Amino acid sequence: MLEIKCPYCGKRSQNEFSYGGDASVKRPELGKEISDKDWDDFVYLRKNLRGKHSELWHHVAGCRQWFKVLRSTATHEIFKTTKVNE
Amino acid sequence: MTAVSALDSIHKKGLFGDHHKKNENDLLKIREVKNLNIFHIVKYKSSKINAINIRIDDLELPLQTSKILSNKDTRILWNAPNTWIVISKKEDIIKKIEEKLNDKDFAITDISHSRAVIQIKGLQTIEVLKKGCPINFNKFEKNNCAGTVFHGINIVIDCATDDLDTFNLITLRSFGESLYHHITDASLEFGYEGV
Repeated sequence: MLEIKCPYCGKRSQNEFSYGGDASVKRPELGKEISDKDWDDFVYLRKNLRGKHSELWHHVAGCRQWFKVLRSTATHEIFKTTKVNE
Repeated sequence: MTAVSALDSIHKKGLFGDHHKKNENDLLKIREVKNLNIFHIVKYKSSKINAINIRIDDLELPLQTSKILSNKDTRILWNAPNTWIVISKKEDIIKKIEEKLNDKDFAITDISHSRAVIQIKGLQTIEVLKKGCPINFNKFEKNNCAGTVFHGINIVIDCATDDLDTFNLITLRSFGESLYHHITDASLEFGYEGV
């Protein structure tokens, strides 16, 4: 069980959170023409890294805020949590 | 029209669990808190208003994480950044809220009838809560609140006393029955009185 430090509420159990995917994926700019392949890559293509990984998490049972977690996918060690805009 | 409380036909009064040969004053007390006026307040992202200067029923909106400010009738809970829950016994609390918060800067929602509130009181209260709730109660203080889970049910915990023996548990009305059974089942080993 992970203990995750929510930037708003402090350290809480993983039970209260929901994983929200890779935080490094950027959505294509709104209104810009993109190819089907670029859209497909944005929706489906993920790197599945081993090591430090920037992730989005949602404090779904607490303050209901989204934030970023820098976590090792190999050891589950959490290095840093930040607000989404930081 | 008559308001029916969330646990109207669920909550049973009397002595339950291991209460034999125990002093009734030492037993856990479990009750449904009824007739509360509960309002959810959210400050819009676009709002330029500083919430520090706002007072509702002579209480500021708490800006510190997990903080509650309260008086005899009203409690204002920090729920999330720029989000608060106002719980009051006063019928006219909505007027006071609307006087201070304009609808261009704040979203105000009456959630009085969409929540179930269970109060658990007694020396073993924290032991009961620890069975299903991952919060660190060693760091919990009077007038602290927390959004968390109890056996997978989303709840807000509101601690109202110095010695951490009285907690109000606020959950969605539809989860009220399930939470009530989880809490009462967890209390059986200590013995409890439904009041």
